[in-house]
Amino acid sequence: MGESSILWLRVAACLYFVGLVDATATILRRRESFFRVAAGLFGIGVMFHVVSLVEQGLAMHHFPASDILESMSLCGLIVAVTFLAIRWRYQDEAASLSVFIFPLVFLMTFMAALRSPISPWSSETARGTWLIVHIVAELLGYVALLFTAIGSVLYLIQERQLKRKVVPSIYRMLPPLGTLDDLILKSLSAGFVFITIGVIIAIVWAFIEHGTRWIGNSSITLSFVTWGIYLALVFFRVSAGWRGRKAAILSLVALAFCAVTWAAHAGLQNRLL
Amino acid sequence: MKLLLTGLSHKTAPVHLREKLAITESSLPRALQELQRLGAAEAVVLSTCNRVELAISTADDMEPGPVLDRFLMEWQGALAQFDGHLYRLESREAIQHIFRVAASLDSMVVGEPQILGQMKAAYAAAKAEGSVGGLLETVLTRAFGAAKRVRSETGIGQMAVSVSYAAVELARRIFGSLSGQKVLIIGSGKMGELAAKHLRRSGANKIFVTNRTFSRAEEMARMFDGRAVEYTAFPAMLHEIDIVIASSGATQYILTRDEMQRVIGQRKNKPMFLIDIAVPRNIDPDVDKIEGVFLYSVDDLAGVVNANLKERGKHAEQAETIIAEEVELMMARLRIEGVAPTIVNLQEQLEEIRAAEVERAIRRTPGMTPEERQRLEAITRSIVNKIAHGPISELRRHASEPEGNHAIEVIRRVFHLQR
Repeated sequence: MGESSILWLRVAACLYFVGLVDATATILRRRESFFRVAAGLFGIGVMFHVVSLVEQGLAMHHFPASDILESMSLCGLIVAVTFLAIRWRYQDEAASLSVFIFPLVFLMTFMAALRSPISPWSSETARGTWLIVHIVAELLGYVALLFTAIGSVLYLIQERQLKRKVVPSIYRMLPPLGTLDDLILKSLSAGFVFITIGVIIAIVWAFIEHGTRWIGNSSITLSFVTWGIYLALVFFRVSAGWRGRKAAILSLVALAFCAVTWAAHAGLQNRLL
Repeated sequence: MKLLLTGLSHKTAPVHLREKLAITESSLPRALQELQRLGAAEAVVLSTCNRVELAISTADDMEPGPVLDRFLMEWQGALAQFDGHLYRLESREAIQHIFRVAASLDSMVVGEPQILGQMKAAYAAAKAEGSVGGLLETVLTRAFGAAKRVRSETGIGQMAVSVSYAAVELARRIFGSLSGQKVLIIGSGKMGELAAKHLRRSGANKIFVTNRTFSRAEEMARMFDGRAVEYTAFPAMLHEIDIVIASSGATQYILTRDEMQRVIGQRKNKPMFLIDIAVPRNIDPDVDKIEGVFLYSVDDLAGVVNANLKERGKHAEQAETIIAEEVELMMARLRIEGVAPTIVNLQEQLEEIRAAEVERAIRRTPGMTPEERQRLEAITRSIVNKIAHGPISELRRHASEPEGNHAIEVIRRVFHLQR
């Protein structure tokens, strides 16, 4: 890959990162002004992304989709351009899609931007710390999701009781819907931040350790699927206001995926070697 | 004195029948006068939205039943429509009923405090008309005392027992803290106003009021430091509102399912609490099927309150025990009061016989010294007292017993006591 094309791709990834931060901020509370900045930077990021892919194609004399990383970069670009087109067509009505699109485009571009040159670990301590941060971030993410799932189930029960009009004494101790909703939103957004950090750290770590060998690994694919479900959960909560039954089911599914991913990661390091 | 109570309550008659028998505040004096004219020694009328009751007392030689029948015939015309709904309670049963009503044990929302105030108002109205001042007055004042005892000795008064307060409790269960929640009041019904007052006091400080008559909305908005909204403009702001209190006189639904579906979509399913206190209802009941919308009608709210109260059923049981004690005390007191004339009668009669016999003995025994006279007086008094002691003790003992009337009657006959 050309030196400058990877540089432009990394610039694009940095600009997309602002989108990721905005998406997280949006989950907590939509801040219109910040969204506009993030969307502007996202647009500039798309330009760098295009430049990067064109340069890559010219330098290598082939269409820049010859391997998994190139195609991931291209796919990220297509998603980004499609989002810009949708936003141009529907204006602010489609703004909430950004919660889903920004993190997705960032992660795809970020992975592609790590291709080369990958420097080896500066020290064993740095390597160990990197791994600990990854594990702690993931675990915090899982715990937050556990609270989201518990909150969602309690929300569902409380909602049902309020609909039934008469509340048996056993349910009187349930927190109010508003409190549960707040808990769900906060734990969901905190969990999303932790898991995303965990995933980013894991990608960097894996590139340094194993180059691109890990990309097809099923356990790792599973963790991306888990992150995707988390992203979907966040997206439906923020853009469509999913509460009650749908939110409870989706959060339980996400929790189950987290548990499976966690189990699947046991001994992964050895399998990758 | 004889006591009789008749009436309808939420337990025996639907609202359309209660309405027919209702006696308005303005016609109350006329009703009380009429009852007295027909022969009632005392009369009290209690007319609230949940009950209409007439209580009268008559002299011992007069039956109170026909007095009430004639009154109802003259006042309401066709009585047949109330068949099976009117209850009629005499003496002890009537007293017990009055005590239970005052203690709010017979209320639609058991333990609600308004009924005692309403009964006191009914008593004050009767007092103003001069239609109480005997047995019925004693019963009422004792009933107020018993109700006070129930409130202070049980937890019945500490619960969320009013419909409007139940609305606040529910709002808290939905939103947690009410501060910052936006409330919209549609219409100017009294219940709606009350619910809004409670919500305001509980922290909901953004209140909007709308009404077909804008000046009325402005007037109400001033009461709550709120903002008046044009009636045509309120649907556009619904998605910003968390709690809607509908109590307008509209005869058609002002909020439909389609409309609310749109609103909840705009709110991204953020919960909304709709309170429909209007009759006929203002909000389509189907609205409750929408996820995230909690629609409570006045019946639902009453249901919630009653469920609360069931939880604390032991307080009501305790209250019933207190009422039973108080009724027993009242009955004993009445019986003792009732037997007093008989005792006086007996003592007077025996004294009369004694005095007459002593007089005759003195006349027949010339030369009786004053000392001898005194001794004779003392001996005869002692004999009479000893004879009277038995019957008087029996009268007192039987007076405090529920079946004592028979024994009292026998003693009266044995001694030929006049009524």
